[in-house]
Amino acid sequence: MIFDKPDSVELLNAVNHFLNEKIKDEVPPHLAFKLRIVENVLNIVSREIALGEKLSNDVIKDLRELIETDTANIKDLALLIKEEKLDLQNEDLKKLLVKLSKNKITIDNPNYSTLKKLVD
Amino acid sequence: MSQELGNLLSKKLESESINGEIINLEPLTGGASKEIWKFEVKLKDKSEKYILRRGSGIEGPLAIKTSDEAQIQKTVRKLGALVPEIISVSSLSEPLGDSYIMKFVEGETIARKILRDAEYKNALQNLAFECGESIAKIHQADIAEFSFLPKKTVKEQLSDLYETYTLFDQPSPVFEYTYLWLKEQNFGEINDALVHGDFRLGNIIVSQDGLQSIIDWELAHVGNPLQDLGWICGNSWRFGNRDKVVGGFGDLKDLLDGYNSVSEYQVDQEIVKAWQVFGTFRWGVICLIQASAHLNGTINSVEKAAIGRRVSETEIDIVDLLFLGGR
Repeated sequence: MIFDKPDSVELLNAVNHFLNEKIKDEVPPHLAFKLRIVENVLNIVSREIALGEKLSNDVIKDLRELIETDTANIKDLALLIKEEKLDLQNEDLKKLLVKLSKNKITIDNPNYSTLKKLVD
Repeated sequence: MSQELGNLLSKKLESESINGEIINLEPLTGGASKEIWKFEVKLKDKSEKYILRRGSGIEGPLAIKTSDEAQIQKTVRKLGALVPEIISVSSLSEPLGDSYIMKFVEGETIARKILRDAEYKNALQNLAFECGESIAKIHQADIAEFSFLPKKTVKEQLSDLYETYTLFDQPSPVFEYTYLWLKEQNFGEINDALVHGDFRLGNIIVSQDGLQSIIDWELAHVGNPLQDLGWICGNSWRFGNRDKVVGGFGDLKDLLDGYNSVSEYQVDQEIVKAWQVFGTFRWGVICLIQASAHLNGTINSVEKAAIGRRVSETEIDIVDLLFLGGR
């Protein structure tokens, strides 16, 4: 990257800090609720920039091993399941769906109760 | 905007012979698609509190008209169900738009407050049983009164949800798997009934004394009523309290004991699991619908944009239920 510091994640964190420290207590209740959503959105973007590629590749690698195709992606997997071209009882398929779901929620909402249960 | 809305409310209430100054008009945090306003009408020696519920016109394919919600509340109230009294209904063509005014009911709707604050601790003890009873009472309504509502078999609802999901061109391997799994399930042989469609914390009013009122009938329809029991057991509606299967506050046994104490049809726990998965899939598709309103430019809303990234919550809940012994 040719860009100066702060990097994109650092910029987002600065915005989030500003919203949290300076704005949160100044807005009426119905906007405070929306402000929390804004903070969540910024956090999703930060996590996706930092971890998204790794978590995504991790799933794609297993997916390509399972269906033995070098170029397959999520759409292909969805189609193979839809057309029942994969054995739905295959344990590796189930494991892949679990990993896909875990990796997605790790970006979207790492505090989600079900992820915590599965990680503990 | 408040001033203009106040004038519209004032005129509407005059037609119901309620004459007084509109005061303390304020927006409440409502659902993602309806406006909710709280206000008071100043009468000679007192003031009365009311709620305005108003459609936005972009509710999505599953939602019914706001004025139809009012009609349901009127009907089930006559049967003794706990719903706020409807004062006035406005159609889309009137100045107030598709909306209704109802009496304000004291209590709390915000799930996290109900689950966290000490004042509701006692109420929560019996809430699952009360919810079961209330759901069963709603299901006893005569469906002949609801000819204006969509009527769907489980199979039709499932294929509708699936078709809706495919519209968004965001293929999900988990949803594809879920759809195939759901098609094989037994959802219970029970007569069609009025289904609330979104019975959970957030859409019920709870006080220190327990369940006070059932609100937000926007997803009501006629069909297999056991859906309402599975819906409130979805992890999406436990607000972080995973261990309390019913709405984050109660046990499944209590919910079913409450239901079975009113209903002729006796529900067993096994059937609820299929409905839990159904409900979680349904919530996932609703998240897609909500996000699409932002994505296709119907409305620019950070709230709706954010909900698109909650689809993954439903996916992990489903794989937990199907493969990892989740409940």
